[in-house]
Amino acid sequence: MMDEFVYLDYAATTPTDPRVAEIMLAQLTADGGFGNPSSAHIVGRRASDVVDRATRQLATLLNCQPRELIWTSGATESDNLAITGAARHREHRGKHLITMPTEHNAVTDVFSALENQGFEVTWLQPDDGGRLNIGDLAAALRDDTQLVSVMYVNNETGVIQDIKAIGALCRDSDVLFHVDAAQATGKLPFDLASLPVDLASMTAHKVYGPKGIGALYIADRPGCHVEPLTFGGGQQRRIRPGTLPVHLIAAFGLAAEIAAERMQDDFAHLQTLHDRLWAGVSAVPGVVRNGSAEYSFPGILNVSVEDIEGESLLLALEPLCVATGSACNSLHKEPSYVLRALGRSDALAQSAIRFSCGRPTTSADVDFAVQRYRDAVGKLRGITPERAA
Amino acid sequence: MSADPYSPRVRELFATTPHAGVVEGGVTVRVADQGVRVELSAKAVGDRVSELGFRAWGCPHLIAAAAAFCSGYKGQKVAHLQRFSASGLMQTLAVPVEKTGRILVLEDAVRSLGATIRQQSELHP
Repeated sequence: MMDEFVYLDYAATTPTDPRVAEIMLAQLTADGGFGNPSSAHIVGRRASDVVDRATRQLATLLNCQPRELIWTSGATESDNLAITGAARHREHRGKHLITMPTEHNAVTDVFSALENQGFEVTWLQPDDGGRLNIGDLAAALRDDTQLVSVMYVNNETGVIQDIKAIGALCRDSDVLFHVDAAQATGKLPFDLASLPVDLASMTAHKVYGPKGIGALYIADRPGCHVEPLTFGGGQQRRIRPGTLPVHLIAAFGLAAEIAAERMQDDFAHLQTLHDRLWAGVSAVPGVVRNGSAEYSFPGILNVSVEDIEGESLLLALEPLCVATGSACNSLHKEPSYVLRALGRSDALAQSAIRFSCGRPTTSADVDFAVQRYRDAVGKLRGITPERAA
Repeated sequence: MSADPYSPRVRELFATTPHAGVVEGGVTVRVADQGVRVELSAKAVGDRVSELGFRAWGCPHLIAAAAAFCSGYKGQKVAHLQRFSASGLMQTLAVPVEKTGRILVLEDAVRSLGATIRQQSELHP
């Protein structure tokens, strides 16, 4: 437990692993890999070696080829590049795209923008548990469909999609399949050599790396390509030009290597914490779980509670650091669009709290969270008036 | 860094919620609007408010405003309740302008409370 607060918001971001921070800092100074990796001289080659090593580290985690990875500024840029780039690359074949309303804004907003540019988007509704019904996808696929985008782990609910089945269906239909894997990379097995995934977005700061660096996987197979969104250099096969941030790339590489080594232990740790947290929180009368319990990443638990106002609940929970929705949404007080899509009422959706545990989380942190949640709900119920007649 | 949306006074009132509860044997009014609910209860002695209590369902600003009102109006004239304006509370508590509608629900409840006490005193002088 930390001194002034208890942090259970690891789905929003994670602290950088000290070993990762150390290797990042080492690239910034004259005795490190500060050079421009595009330079042909020895300093440039030294920086290029750092980038190559990091690319191999991330490729090893994902079981893909290093040449299949493009460095970006984060998952939002990767999503934009993957979806817009693929749609534009294949628009001469058709302009129909498929996604879900429960995707992250970094995906839904791109599809909305493409709709305004003349593309047709089918928004597939999830079932009550937040999962995509494969039959619904099969029915939505058309001859002119070019891209399907479905996330691996939902950032608000932790619900895991069956990306293997979705990808297989896309392959059979010659449709590209993009996966937003921001919440899954380094936490769940993601074997891109065997999974039928064409494009995958990821970011370092969800897996104990720094903010500002992400990656896009582009499968090395015929028909799978994205048009660039930015121009101005020949780096990264002109798909995403610009001078590479060597320090951030080195950091993501090491974070990926550490994640690969720790994945099983991390998962077991999170499962234990999840079970303890759910056992405690579910004992509070009126609490409901948001999202499937069966198909869920144990690092995220999203619950709502009847007749409690969400903003007051969040303040009453302090110094517990949790989220009312995704971090990107929580400054806005509207009920979560993800939970509304799962069929939750406005009243239940606005009371939602997302607990997300991480490597540093202890059982004591979870016990503190449970007690704080019970106390907060009890306090607010104590001052709740009866409904006016 | 996101600015703290709550002033220190709002945090204090939300944490301690002075006057939360129902004044037993007093007059009670309830107003629900703008997605929030406010209940005020009070007793008067002569022409002055002697006890005040509140319950509220809403955001921290609303709860703090209700607590601040109850803390500030004990001993005041009942007649003042019917002319109550929440603008002073909004300034004191630094309530964001987008929450004006919710705080006006409290204003409606206070005025209703004043009218109800007056009616009762006229019925039972």
